[in-house]
Amino acid sequence: MLSVIVFLPLVGAILVLLAGGSGDRRDREPAVRTLALAVSLATFLVTLLLWWRFDPTSADYQFVERHAWIPAFGIQYLVGVDGISLLLVVLTGFLTPLALLSSWDSVHKNVKMFSFFILALESSMLGVFVSIDLFLFYVFWDFVLIPMYFLIGIWGYERRVYAAVKFILYTMAGSVLMLVAIIGLAYAYASTSPTGTPSFNLLDLYAVRLSWPMEMWFFLAFAVAFLIKVPLFPFHTWLPDAHVEAPTAGSIILAGVMLKMGTYGLFRFAFPLFPSAAMYFAPWIGVLAVIGIIYGALVAMVQPDMKKLVAYSSVSHLGFVVLGLCAMNVQGAQGAVYQMLNHGVSTGGLFMIVGMLSDRRHTRLISEFGGLKAVMPRLVAAFLLITLASIALPGMNGFVGEFLILVGTFLWSSKLAAFAASGVILSAVYMLWMFQRVNYGEITNEKNRTLPDLTMREWVMMVPTIAMCIVMGVVPGVFLRPMEPSVKRTIERVTGRSYAATSQPQHVVALGAKPAPVPAAPLPPAARDSRIASPEPTAASRRPRSASSE
Amino acid sequence: MTEYAAMIPLVIVALSATAAMLAEAFRQPGERMPIAGLGLIGLAGAAVASGFLWNSDAHSMGVIRSDNFALFINFVLCIIGVLTMLMSGDVVEREQIPAGEYYALTLFAICGMMMMAAATDLLVVFLALEILSLAVYVLTGIRRRSASGAEAAFKYFLLGAFSSAFFLYGIAFAFALSGSTRIEQIGEALSRQGAGEPSTLALLTVGLLAVGFAFKVSAVPFHMWTPDAYEGAPTIVTAFMSTAVKAAAFAAFVRVFLSPLEPLKNEWIPMLGVLAGLTMILGTVVGVVQTNVKRMLAYSSIAHAGYLLLGIVSANTTGKAAILFYLLAYAVTNMGALGIVALLGTSQNQHDELRDFSGLWKSRPGLAGLMTIFLLSLGGLPPTAGFIGKWYIFSAAIQEGHYWLAIIGVLTSVISVFFYLRIVVMMYMTEGSDAVRPRLGATAVAGLALAVVAVLYLGVLPTRALDLALDSISTIF
Repeated sequence: MLSVIVFLPLVGAILVLLAGGSGDRRDREPAVRTLALAVSLATFLVTLLLWWRFDPTSADYQFVERHAWIPAFGIQYLVGVDGISLLLVVLTGFLTPLALLSSWDSVHKNVKMFSFFILALESSMLGVFVSIDLFLFYVFWDFVLIPMYFLIGIWGYERRVYAAVKFILYTMAGSVLMLVAIIGLAYAYASTSPTGTPSFNLLDLYAVRLSWPMEMWFFLAFAVAFLIKVPLFPFHTWLPDAHVEAPTAGSIILAGVMLKMGTYGLFRFAFPLFPSAAMYFAPWIGVLAVIGIIYGALVAMVQPDMKKLVAYSSVSHLGFVVLGLCAMNVQGAQGAVYQMLNHGVSTGGLFMIVGMLSDRRHTRLISEFGGLKAVMPRLVAAFLLITLASIALPGMNGFVGEFLILVGTFLWSSKLAAFAASGVILSAVYMLWMFQRVNYGEITNEKNRTLPDLTMREWVMMVPTIAMCIVMGVVPGVFLRPMEPSVKRTIERVTGRSYAATSQPQHVVALGAKPAPVPAAPLPPAARDSRIASPEPTAASRRPRSASSE
Repeated sequence: MTEYAAMIPLVIVALSATAAMLAEAFRQPGERMPIAGLGLIGLAGAAVASGFLWNSDAHSMGVIRSDNFALFINFVLCIIGVLTMLMSGDVVEREQIPAGEYYALTLFAICGMMMMAAATDLLVVFLALEILSLAVYVLTGIRRRSASGAEAAFKYFLLGAFSSAFFLYGIAFAFALSGSTRIEQIGEALSRQGAGEPSTLALLTVGLLAVGFAFKVSAVPFHMWTPDAYEGAPTIVTAFMSTAVKAAAFAAFVRVFLSPLEPLKNEWIPMLGVLAGLTMILGTVVGVVQTNVKRMLAYSSIAHAGYLLLGIVSANTTGKAAILFYLLAYAVTNMGALGIVALLGTSQNQHDELRDFSGLWKSRPGLAGLMTIFLLSLGGLPPTAGFIGKWYIFSAAIQEGHYWLAIIGVLTSVISVFFYLRIVVMMYMTEGSDAVRPRLGATAVAGLALAVVAVLYLGVLPTRALDLALDSISTIF
């Protein structure tokens, strides 16, 4: 089933190429668009089916498919999903049709190739999330760059070539060092394995024990690759360029899914593969994340261009995700994974709105707008809901994620949590200020008087997005439950602590998703900081290096 | 008969070359003759014969050994030859190159290369080197009216002669050392010397042979001839030279350095390691500033020589197999890329400047797409042959703990992606030039299709080729 999900878009992409005829044929445009949309919707349905059949109580990989690929090097075609990747797969399936829809009226240059690249991109992103073999993962990880490069470079705005080249070189420079580390790790495994062949199977590699300098260097190589992708301050400089110049569909996918590949990689690969190095560097990464949160928010505040504003807000929001992961406890990590999904939906939504406005006015400058509420009440209402989701209003999705992350961070370091919390306020400031300048007040620009409100197609895009924002805010348990066992296991792998004795964390109870049994026995000391009501704040704020050190 | 079995593939190629020469001699003026077809038949015959010889480890007269290693190189050379024959038709007609001579020289060069890959005697290696070099010198300058062609051929000839002299001198020292020019006997003599300090004679042998090979594979600092020769030669010849000569030279390089000179490993590994690092760095860094596509690909070919050297420096099983796979991957990729450049030229203008590629996507979307795949493969991005090749080479280096060389390798790959992408940017993201785009003949299209299928096949399902490569190195210890 996973192979179907991964390769269906690719097959669709090839069909699109065939259906489009040779050259750039205008008359085939509707057929090409419909076909591409149908393929992406079909993929989405299969991902939903995957979720339906997923066993939420297990922390193991499910739907595993295994084929020998390059046996001489222990390379397999090995795919599977667990609770962490499952929802990211669904998210990818959800956003791709929206991205295609968003380009319906704005892209007319060679629609065939455009749809081809979007579908190829979907395929490779899905591949990244389901790969368990590191070689396979790297192949997909690198391949993602190619369609995105073309999407930015061909269908982007004025400085598209610069942005596209910067994007691909920046992210590639990070990934190739990871390649060296991957190979090094596989040979480290080979030196200990009985057969002497290397393995790229993640589950094998989790067991590899490295010397400290090796572990440190390998961790850094992995971490830099992922942090560039996230992007974490100070590796973020490619992002504003790429976002601003990318076409709307590209921005939706870039912000919605591709940035998550970085945080996903950190949590899936970098942390559990090199646990001691991860524990050693986590405070540093955490500090960078907090700097990113505040820096991104401050820079977003002064942007005159809406798209750039949203891009910097991504830097800020992804800082939260990284911070939650660095906290290395269940709350933080779960919040981080949840926030990945939230950010995908709400920032995807924001880029759709910005795209709609820029399609209407061919500008994205905030100063060009003003008083839109009187002209396009429905679009502005949608805009408001998405904005509220993005600034984490309680009842919307962003709240759940940021709350969990802050709880997790507080348990780890109250100082970082305090600084991070200021980012929540700042995000309200820049988003609402932008919203106010664009939508309220008098109509200052005559061109805005005659803008049409939401069209049918735009309704189709906005309704599911907003619905997801609300659903994820109201019933987070639906999404948190399947990911919980896997998140716990990953955290156990990194920290060496066991969560077997702990029950459901309390926050889930607070949000009314699932009743948690009260633990009968007193908690083991090692598990203490996974509880919200920690009796010793000083002990909880200091993070233990391992289970035994506390 | 069995005495000569090992030579059958190269005899077949030599016969087809002779047939091509005769066909040209008996051709009426103005008569069209499918001489390339003769070449195709010869190459196909050589490939089939190599297939029959697989696993037989046939020897001829103690100086030619058709072990799987040589046969693998034979296959690579046959593929290169077939692609050259297929894509040459249009070019030969357009540039008014004398067809018979062109095809005959190409085939003789391939014959020399096959001999070089199979030679187990340093003098035969030298003989093969001269056979292929002389043919390639002439091919470089085959456009008699072209000044740059003449200059390129002359430079190539002079520096090539120098390198041959170095090589011959190295052979002389090897003879002085061991009393023989046979590879096995040199190896025995060296291992008899034991593990202590190697003699000056041995060091001189290693150094001079290394210089000779470094010239041929265009490793820095012996690369000076490469950009000029590649730029001045007709583009299709550049494609042939950059892939086939490299394959043959590396085959002999591996056979000489990784078997008889293996005992001196500790002496030459640091030296070749430095050479590999410099070659990778210089090839890519200088490639960045080129505006002529042929020159750019010439520097890229220098960089690729650096990656291949990494395989020799690793000196392990993975490294040897990686070299074979990389040669195959590079052959199909670079034949494709330079083939497209060759096919885009017209008789007035070569159209090999970067700006000539602008807007190719609009006028020839298919060619632009193929070129993109070839360039991505050169840059080492998945899912192409180039990615697997680089992966394999870097694996070999990391396995031996050469982390720094691997890091230089991956970082230069990123830089090289920058200049490959310049061509992509031109093709896709720049408005069209008014360059006339010639129509492609059916054979050229077939050649490009073959190359692209091979690039993707080796990139997605490399298992078979990798296993063959691993299977081919058992006789090189």
